[in-house]
Amino acid sequence: MHTLKLLSAFFKVNVQLALAYRADTIVNILLNIMWLGWELLSLSIIFNNTTTLGGWGLPELIALLGVFRLVNTMMVALIWPNTEKFNQSIRDGSMDYTILQPANSMFLVTFSRITVWRIWDLVLAIVLIVVGINMSGDLITPLHILSFILLALSGMIVIYSLWIVLIAFTFWFTKFDNNVTIMQALMDSGRYPVSVYPVWMRIIVTYIIPIAVATTIPLQALRGELSIQKIAIFFLVAVISFIVASLAWKSGLKRYSGASS
Amino acid sequence: MLKIFQRLWQVNWAEQWQYRANLMMYLLFWLVSPVIYLAIWTSIANAKGNVNGLTANDFITYYMTLLIVDQITSNIVIHTFAYKIQDGTLSGELIKPIHPMLTNALVNNIAFKILTIIGFIPVWIILFFLFKPDYSSVTLIGVLLAIPMMLMGFLIGYLLTATITSLAFWTTRVFSIHDFYFALSLLFSGQFVPLTLMPKIIQNIAQYLPFRFQLYHPIQLILGRLSVAEIIQGYLTAGIWLIVSITLFNWVWRRGVKRFSAVGA
Repeated sequence: MHTLKLLSAFFKVNVQLALAYRADTIVNILLNIMWLGWELLSLSIIFNNTTTLGGWGLPELIALLGVFRLVNTMMVALIWPNTEKFNQSIRDGSMDYTILQPANSMFLVTFSRITVWRIWDLVLAIVLIVVGINMSGDLITPLHILSFILLALSGMIVIYSLWIVLIAFTFWFTKFDNNVTIMQALMDSGRYPVSVYPVWMRIIVTYIIPIAVATTIPLQALRGELSIQKIAIFFLVAVISFIVASLAWKSGLKRYSGASS
Repeated sequence: MLKIFQRLWQVNWAEQWQYRANLMMYLLFWLVSPVIYLAIWTSIANAKGNVNGLTANDFITYYMTLLIVDQITSNIVIHTFAYKIQDGTLSGELIKPIHPMLTNALVNNIAFKILTIIGFIPVWIILFFLFKPDYSSVTLIGVLLAIPMMLMGFLIGYLLTATITSLAFWTTRVFSIHDFYFALSLLFSGQFVPLTLMPKIIQNIAQYLPFRFQLYHPIQLILGRLSVAEIIQGYLTAGIWLIVSITLFNWVWRRGVKRFSAVGA
């Protein structure tokens, strides 16, 4: 409850920040639509030349694009702005004030900045998923939808946890400004099903920087391609990675000595 | 003049060298999407035998060459210069008797490029062994023809981005304008896919635009896939665009500097 209140407070503050730059918001949304157009055009070029890509058809790829946008929104609306603020706070010591506050520091560090206009992206993402699934004519049962939501959340938790681990490294190496670049760099791989990639790339985007866990796999669940056991395993992986991330955060925090004091 | 460039080189090289870890991250950033496209198109070509006449190896050599050409023809001027106009630090450079954009910023870009190329070579070799391109169609003449084309491609791209950067004299939204420019270049440069696979209308427009000289055209030259007529036509069009971009940049820069009021100074 306390957490929810904080979250809504953060949200309000960020809405106010965004309202100071209204014209920018409109330009950003227009550019965002332009990029959507480009993404759809690139899919249509691919499917002008083939009927399946890694075993998936055009409707499935449109839905995948939607799932990709869900994860990408987390990346650009949450991970980017907060990391920037966090890196700054480690360098100049303003992290002191965050730790002093009577709330979970990991929560404060990861949710205090929200790029509000990106919520538009979430709407688009859901539209893409619904349109894609409708076009494909796949039979979707409520159970599929449930397992999709579960795995999409699991995937996001995995990415979130990886992010925590990466930024926790900053406690050890103060000048570690590139902590999330590697995630962002591999992000684009999530636009396409992991089955099109050569084995070594598949290993990287599934196990090392698990973008595919948050994109391809939830969509597979939505299409009813995953067994209950697999779904349970991915959920378990998410829980474990969140625990590992919290531990990494705590031990990192112990190393923090404050730049100013 | 040569002495000035020499000194600028020392300064900019030292500056870029400081950020070598950042450079490697940038390199990673920029490597990923061509490798993804390579994977997609080779998987399609392998499944169907060929795509519109292009075999899997044609795609592998295309994108492997693209990685090299892009390294040479791309530039980062908007990221290193736009803020100088916005926060007023440009004034320090304007009082020097050399053109800020055509000397300092240019040398800075080249230093950046050379450092990333040093990091890029081992990565490319690893990719070479992973994808095993068959480069038997490459000839010495093709490579020699491609060198001046890449140089022109770089200069055209540099001047056009410098023109967009100069719009910072008027607006704070240069990065949004640059995003739009970047989208056009994705569409017309052959970054996503060899232009011959693009819809006919895009191919026709791409003929007249400058974007293909940064990727598609030099790549095809290196791979020996162009006819003599296409080669000549390419040089002529690139030459015209070079003149256009010089004129355009000069015009915008001059008017911009007149407006410049050096915030904060």
